[in-house]
Amino acid sequence: MAQPFKPETLVLGLTLIVVGVLWTLANHGSIDLLGTLRRWWPATLVLWGTLELYGSYADRRAGGPQ
Amino acid sequence: MSSPVAAPHDTYPPLPPPVAPVAAPRPPKRPVLALVLGGAFPGVGQLYNGQTAKALALFAAFAAAIYLADEVGMPFNLVIPFVVFYSAIDAYRSAVAINLRWSGRPAIVETEDDAESPAWGIVLLGIGVLLLMNNLGILQVGAVRRFWPLLLIVAGAMFLRRSLQRRDAAATVTPRSEDGPAV
Repeated sequence: MAQPFKPETLVLGLTLIVVGVLWTLANHGSIDLLGTLRRWWPATLVLWGTLELYGSYADRRAGGPQ
Repeated sequence: MSSPVAAPHDTYPPLPPPVAPVAAPRPPKRPVLALVLGGAFPGVGQLYNGQTAKALALFAAFAAAIYLADEVGMPFNLVIPFVVFYSAIDAYRSAVAINLRWSGRPAIVETEDDAESPAWGIVLLGIGVLLLMNNLGILQVGAVRRFWPLLLIVAGAMFLRRSLQRRDAAATVTPRSEDGPAV
């Protein structure tokens, strides 16, 4: 049976990438890093919840977790 | 009190040659540790069980309960200990269920496995959307002061859905235990 889908690593990786891009932009003076993060951090929860839902349905399609 | 007379040892057959002791494999989770961790701080026991999404949702519920107890008052003061107890007991039951599944015993509760239930993903998604809307100025989470009874409606809808699911499952599958451990 396949491993159940675990979104944690995906969330961490995507979050790091996004923060890295934002930080680079901030270093060039394009954006306000802290303000952007403060406003948009719940997107991480949205992403996580979505992946969790996706994993739940993927596991179910695969015939249930084992 | 006199002990019963034991049979002399030399009447027994000789012991088999000593075998290297095989350590009985320990089940992967210690339920009591999960209980203690889950009660110490909501979500930590779930982290120990490897249920990260549930841990995050419980932590968010804990934070929300404290916020609402401060903002609204009475009904939410009681939510704080509820979240703590829920976290502790859920961590214990999940650890037991994980051990059961690990041991290969057919888990009675396989069909209502909350670990992979979409509910925790929905909770995270909902919290994220609410906070995002709050930050973008679309919605004031501070308005919960007046709208918090909507939470009751949401909870009621979830229970209804679950009850319908159970009825459907009972109609299609053989009867099963209603109160076994659920992850």
